[in-house]
Amino acid sequence: MKLERAATALPRHGWQLLPLRFHRIDAESVVLTNLVGEHVFVTPDELAAVVDGTCTDQELLARLRAAHLIQVPGETLPAELLAIKLRTRMRRLPDSTGLHIFVVTLRCEHTCRYCQVSRQSAAKNEFDMTEQTARRALELAFRSPSPHLKIEFQGGEPLLNFPLVRWITAEANRMNEEHGKELAFVIATNLALLDEEILGFCAEEQIHISTSLDGPQDLHNGNRRRPGRDSWQQAVAGIRRVQERLGKDRVSALMTTTEASLGRAAEIIDTYAELGLRGVFLRPISPYGFALRGRGGANYDVDRWLEFYAAGLDQIVELNRQGVPMVEMYASIIAKKMLTNADPGYVDLTSPAGIGIGALVYNYDGDIYASDEGRMLAEMGDRTFKLGNVHDSSYADIMLSDALLNPLTESITLSAPMCATCAFEPYCGADPVFHYATMGDFTGHKALSAFCRRNMGVFTLLLRKMRDDRYFRDLLWRWAQ
Amino acid sequence: MSPAGSGAGATGAGTTGAAEIMLAFDRATVDLDALQRSAYAVAAEMTVDIRVTGADYVCTLFPRRQDTAGDELKHRFRAEVNDQILRVRIAKETEPLRNLVFALAFSQTGLVDVEAEGSA
Repeated sequence: MKLERAATALPRHGWQLLPLRFHRIDAESVVLTNLVGEHVFVTPDELAAVVDGTCTDQELLARLRAAHLIQVPGETLPAELLAIKLRTRMRRLPDSTGLHIFVVTLRCEHTCRYCQVSRQSAAKNEFDMTEQTARRALELAFRSPSPHLKIEFQGGEPLLNFPLVRWITAEANRMNEEHGKELAFVIATNLALLDEEILGFCAEEQIHISTSLDGPQDLHNGNRRRPGRDSWQQAVAGIRRVQERLGKDRVSALMTTTEASLGRAAEIIDTYAELGLRGVFLRPISPYGFALRGRGGANYDVDRWLEFYAAGLDQIVELNRQGVPMVEMYASIIAKKMLTNADPGYVDLTSPAGIGIGALVYNYDGDIYASDEGRMLAEMGDRTFKLGNVHDSSYADIMLSDALLNPLTESITLSAPMCATCAFEPYCGADPVFHYATMGDFTGHKALSAFCRRNMGVFTLLLRKMRDDRYFRDLLWRWAQ
Repeated sequence: MSPAGSGAGATGAGTTGAAEIMLAFDRATVDLDALQRSAYAVAAEMTVDIRVTGADYVCTLFPRRQDTAGDELKHRFRAEVNDQILRVRIAKETEPLRNLVFALAFSQTGLVDVEAEGSA
């Protein structure tokens, strides 16, 4: 062993830096990341010695070399391996667009306080998508090069226009006989209208149900209002029915953090665990539409949300320690990006941004948006992210439109100020819609950006916990798989 | 000088007035680029005016919060400048390898062979 070590020992100035970025985690610790996000913790003095060429710690140099942060001059393999990993991370790019969101109606029988889109009376069917519009949207969706198409039904409450959900599913299956793509369907529903007919249809078509559950009864019903004040009861009953009929993994739930949620992270997680849900996505409220109006629930800053997130993550880790499997979905997406070369394809954390090339939204009236958030902005009167209309736009018109290409090119993180030199760039994303909505331009000033502050906070939290807690490190590795 | 260390070549000569906090950096040892990047990065805490005065860049710091101590602000800005100097140095040293990796990665994607498709 000694001989081996002597043979591979690097003399002073005997290495060359590979492209690396750094971030100070705290006074004692700096994280170094390479071009694809592989990371190593060092001390500030070690960083200085490595950059100056004076480091004599062979164990550290070996770790840095293994993580493609340094190389011996003349080596070619590290650059080749980094290139392969980089290409692997970006392999989905030519296969746009995988997610197609059909807003089959704007009608809804809920009046949620943070709803980002306008709520139309359940009786006004002029806000329903027609078969003609849906057919044209399907034709555009099947033009996507992606071999996997996910069709997600949204609203309003999509089950208020269930006949069209059924029609689109049948039509998509029929069209796919020619295209042979891997086709999946999701209904995003509050579950209040779930009945045996709908359950049977979902079982037959293997449809996944995505619902909303904000936590305990009082919290959920305070946020999500409907006649009878029984949104929580309806959602819980619906989740149980779907689990029994379709299987545990066929239903997932999302929560939205309002100021009423802060301080109740553990209760929220426990509600999910009691229902047998295996994943929680701790989401901040979106800065769009009605959420920003007076009673929308957005009256908290990033630091308070980060406290909430950390408390929730602690509770999830504790449940896992007790043998209750539970995943925090945002951490698992980031873990994939931190610890593997896989691209989880999460629209908010990709660069180039996921708008348009990751998801397209077909509104009830045929208007096409680059993202659901772009549609929400349009509901507030700003159509910046409208790409066209299914009745008069071709696939080329949509994908080559300035409305899509300008935000994509202007927000790429590898060239954006601060992002380009940020150690967390491989984990993060561009999100031009957020920055446009909050700062008025697609790139945003990252030193002032809530998106940047929130994600920097989450990345730092995860890295610190990985450094300090072996159990957490192993758990994150499992979530990354 | 050790750019990776704590000195970063800044003279750190500073004065604290009632309305302005000033720091001077030796132009021979600190790049303007690093100062400008630093000013951008600390924009949530302060705005920074950069002027050339003789052999120095003189930075005037304007805190966004009036209760921030002048010394604290100067330490914060100096630390940011040190980090930006290091980042600039690493980026400069590794730029050819970075370009090589990107060239290798994207030369084999086949994207250049994809012809624009017609309309739907």
